[in-house]
Amino acid sequence: MRSVLAIAEAELKRFNADKSNIFFVFIFPLALVFLLGSQFTPSGTAGTVAVTGPESGLRVALIEQMETAGLEVTLTDEDGMRRQVARGTADVGVTIPESAAEDFAAGTDFALELVSASQSDAVAVAQLVRDATAAATLREGQVIALRGAGIDSDADIVRALERAEDSVAPARLVVRNQSGLAREFRGLGQFDLTASTTLLLFTFLTALTGAVTLIQARRDGVVKRIMASPVSATQAIAGQGLGRLAIALFQGLYIMLASWLIFGVSWGDPVAASVLLLVFSLVAAGVSMIVGVLVDNESLGLGLGIGASLVVGAIGGAMVPLEFFSDTMRRVAHFTPHAWGYEAFAELQRRSGGLFDILPELGVLLAMAVVTLALGSWLLRRSLERAM
Amino acid sequence: MTNLSKLLAMVRYDLRQRLTDGSVLAFAVVVPLALMWVMDVVFSDATDVELQPITVAVATPADDQLAAVIPEVLRAVSADGELQIEVREVTPTEVPDLVADGSAGMGVVVPPDFSTALIAGDGPEVEVTIGDNTGIMDQIVGSVVRATLAQLTAGTQAATAGVELGVSPDQLAALGQAVVDEAPQVQWREGQAASEQLGFQESIVAGQAGMFLLFTVGFGVLAMVREREQGTMARLLSMPMPPWLVTAAKGAVSFLLGLISMTVLLTAGSVLFDGVDFGAPVAVGVLILLVVAATTSLMFIITKVARTAEQAGIAQSIVAVVLGMSGGAFFQINATGLVGTILALNPVKAFIDGLGVTSGGGRVGDLGTVALILGAFTALCLVCAWLLPDRKDAL
Repeated sequence: MRSVLAIAEAELKRFNADKSNIFFVFIFPLALVFLLGSQFTPSGTAGTVAVTGPESGLRVALIEQMETAGLEVTLTDEDGMRRQVARGTADVGVTIPESAAEDFAAGTDFALELVSASQSDAVAVAQLVRDATAAATLREGQVIALRGAGIDSDADIVRALERAEDSVAPARLVVRNQSGLAREFRGLGQFDLTASTTLLLFTFLTALTGAVTLIQARRDGVVKRIMASPVSATQAIAGQGLGRLAIALFQGLYIMLASWLIFGVSWGDPVAASVLLLVFSLVAAGVSMIVGVLVDNESLGLGLGIGASLVVGAIGGAMVPLEFFSDTMRRVAHFTPHAWGYEAFAELQRRSGGLFDILPELGVLLAMAVVTLALGSWLLRRSLERAM
Repeated sequence: MTNLSKLLAMVRYDLRQRLTDGSVLAFAVVVPLALMWVMDVVFSDATDVELQPITVAVATPADDQLAAVIPEVLRAVSADGELQIEVREVTPTEVPDLVADGSAGMGVVVPPDFSTALIAGDGPEVEVTIGDNTGIMDQIVGSVVRATLAQLTAGTQAATAGVELGVSPDQLAALGQAVVDEAPQVQWREGQAASEQLGFQESIVAGQAGMFLLFTVGFGVLAMVREREQGTMARLLSMPMPPWLVTAAKGAVSFLLGLISMTVLLTAGSVLFDGVDFGAPVAVGVLILLVVAATTSLMFIITKVARTAEQAGIAQSIVAVVLGMSGGAFFQINATGLVGTILALNPVKAFIDGLGVTSGGGRVGDLGTVALILGAFTALCLVCAWLLPDRKDAL
């Protein structure tokens, strides 16, 4: 057993000696959690609007109403507005001409220009903008209506309306989102989902790119030297397998701990989460062994490792949540270990599940681990026999 | 043997070596194409936002004139144009079931005594329930209901102010409607902006091609670092030819590999995926030349900075991933202001923006800003590489 541990330790040391890991193992995953998590806000914007026009009461009123409606507003010039809409940076652009501002101040009808981007959700944002603009004109409507009712003093009207605003609370809209998606993601912290998907993506990716150390070891004759020492083939294979597992576990545990400490990510039951990470890492270790034996070229191994990890991760829900997949794609996703890991973390993080609740997912992952590790070991044994 | 023939001989030899190298094929063609396909299959469902017809179950208290305005306004919105909203007036107890079983996409429940509560200043709450598969219609319906409530509130406040100001009771009743009728009306003029936005599939193809280009061009120039380590660079420099020829040959290999990769990826993307059309081939060709030049020039800086092939590989990977992801290889980062300006200077982002121009019908002459960014990026990188110490003689 000491020999096995010594080989595994040497593998982990070789992996940590690679300076690129400072970026790809320690910095990049957390940057991704932060970047993607920042966009996962329960009170996300309803859309973006680029507004252009000189400073005026109309502009202030419009922006205030748009922001109340949950729109993100940027002020820019005419060219900037059109550029933002053309490139989709803004869903909708609004031009407030000087004449419109003057008409609004005079309490008369006014004309605005609305430019919609080509994306389909721009229609919804345009409706929000129209409704917000209508709301901005209501105060003027109140004043004109009271004037029409025979009140001559504007000062009296304004004072009376201010008191009425204080005494008449507005009718409010309460939105209850009962859609399956909303129910599924309810209770998740801002960074919880992206942290778990990043963990799945990077644990697998790091394990697969770690296959390069196995390719190097075979190429540089390290494997031959190991076989020349008093170590059996079984011990050498177990050591290599444990080395891959150590690399995957190292990455996963780092993301788990760092995201918990920095972003307050909730991983649910710690025992269940740890077991899940261990079993998922076993699958990754098995695949890493297969790549490490089948590929002889380091660059090709690295390319295949990165490419396969990204492709399998995307299919398995590590880039876009599985809940957004079609039924067919969701069935396809479950051929990947990521999808089972995703479902298990969903149970732990969203529904406070425990070890027993994720037994089906653990069972499937364990079966995958047995198959990949057995195949990896068989391939490595064949390679060792050739080395001898 | 002229310098040109020596250059061509080196390029031919290096190019043959690279093209038969499996790792070049993996980074330049196989992996990006595989990612394009997977992202297309997986993400197209997630980004498919449609403006679909919706049924809204609305429950209003009987004989409540103010509450009755809400279903009326929803019907009026539907009658106006492209939005299709079917309003079903039901009882409050029916709403949750209709939304739950999918008979209605949304439910609106106006509480009993809505008008009384509003006039009394109690701020009644109207409950909107969102069901499954509403797309973006839930935002639209929610906005319409919210705007209607704002109008009803404004009318009630005007009536309250009218009472204080001594408006006669027969005029008070009409005051609420007058607020809406007399408010300045907005005439919306539909403006136009050039379409410089790539479609979903086009973004995937352009983004992946741009990111993996940064890996592909490294196979030529960064080979200089490996040759320095192996000692073959010293042998090359001792040959009877100017040292700059070696650098030029490596640069040409990178440039050609980049051209081949981009041409294959964009052509394959256009053929394999629906709705991918980057526009005029000449303009797209100019863009490819510019972005390949920009990314190749960046590799010269890495060659100067990196001491070993391992360091060069690390730097290249970091640059590729950071520029690729911030440039929009996986998702668009919609930033404005200073951050937006910095992002626009990224060659991958400039390339995607340029393809947006060409896909919208733009020609070579319309690529001004993008061409300027890519040209300036290339010049800046080459100057930096020239000025950086270490191996100045090789450049």
